Amino acid sequence: MSVTTASYVARRAAQKERVCTLYRRALKDTLNWAVHRHLFYSDADALREKFEANKHVEDIELIDRMIAAGEATYNKWRHPDPYIVPWAPGGSKFCRNPTPPPGIEIIHNYGMEERE
Amino acid sequence: MQNLRNAILSYMRVGIPVKGPSVQKWLNGHCELLRACSTAANINQDQIMNRVIGLVKKFDKIDSAKVTEDADFQKDLSLDSLDRVELVMAFEEEFSIEIPDVEADKLKSCTDVAKYVKSKVSETS
Repeated sequence: MSVTTASYVARRAAQKERVCTLYRRALKDTLNWAVHRHLFYSDADALREKFEANKHVEDIELIDRMIAAGEATYNKWRHPDPYIVPWAPGGSKFCRNPTPPPGIEIIHNYGMEERE
Repeated sequence: MQNLRNAILSYMRVGIPVKGPSVQKWLNGHCELLRACSTAANINQDQIMNRVIGLVKKFDKIDSAKVTEDADFQKDLSLDSLDRVELVMAFEEEFSIEIPDVEADKLKSCTDVAKYVKSKVSETS
């Protein structure tokens, strides 16, 4: 009995994580599709309502199927050119001004040391 | 802007090798210019913390009176997991950083967020 309970709890935790990840990605994708910020707010509310509608579903198999369906929908509508933070990997400023390797230092008063 | 202008002017000024306070002044101006030109050095922990707390207070599902530095988002501020996802996204936009899924779970209070942002900002600069 305890084994089945433990496996049930573990499965529920995994589902919770999947839902959170899915919501996070879908929310970001909503922002990618929104041309203006004020269009994003209503879209985000609609997305949240879709998640809230199935908040009290208890059947574990049904939840799995719903998550799979949600992920399929997300993949179908994924933005082809999403926004990436400029400094993050894939962004337009990634590695633009890398920090110099350790051991290299700039001497700012070169040639004027004796003056100080 | 005035600071930067003064810093540049004092940097451009020809340093006359005179012993005494003027040399000290020139040195100070030099350091100030360097500091003014680097954005990362200007951001400190307190500023980040103030921005984080201001953002959390503006979040519409949170009672702004309850917000403190160590208040747990889930327990003290009664957010559910999806609200926390929205909050993390707000942090990402505020500080222009990317927070991966694994890190997002660990951010439980304003202190955690400020520490994480600080480490991220000093990493990219």
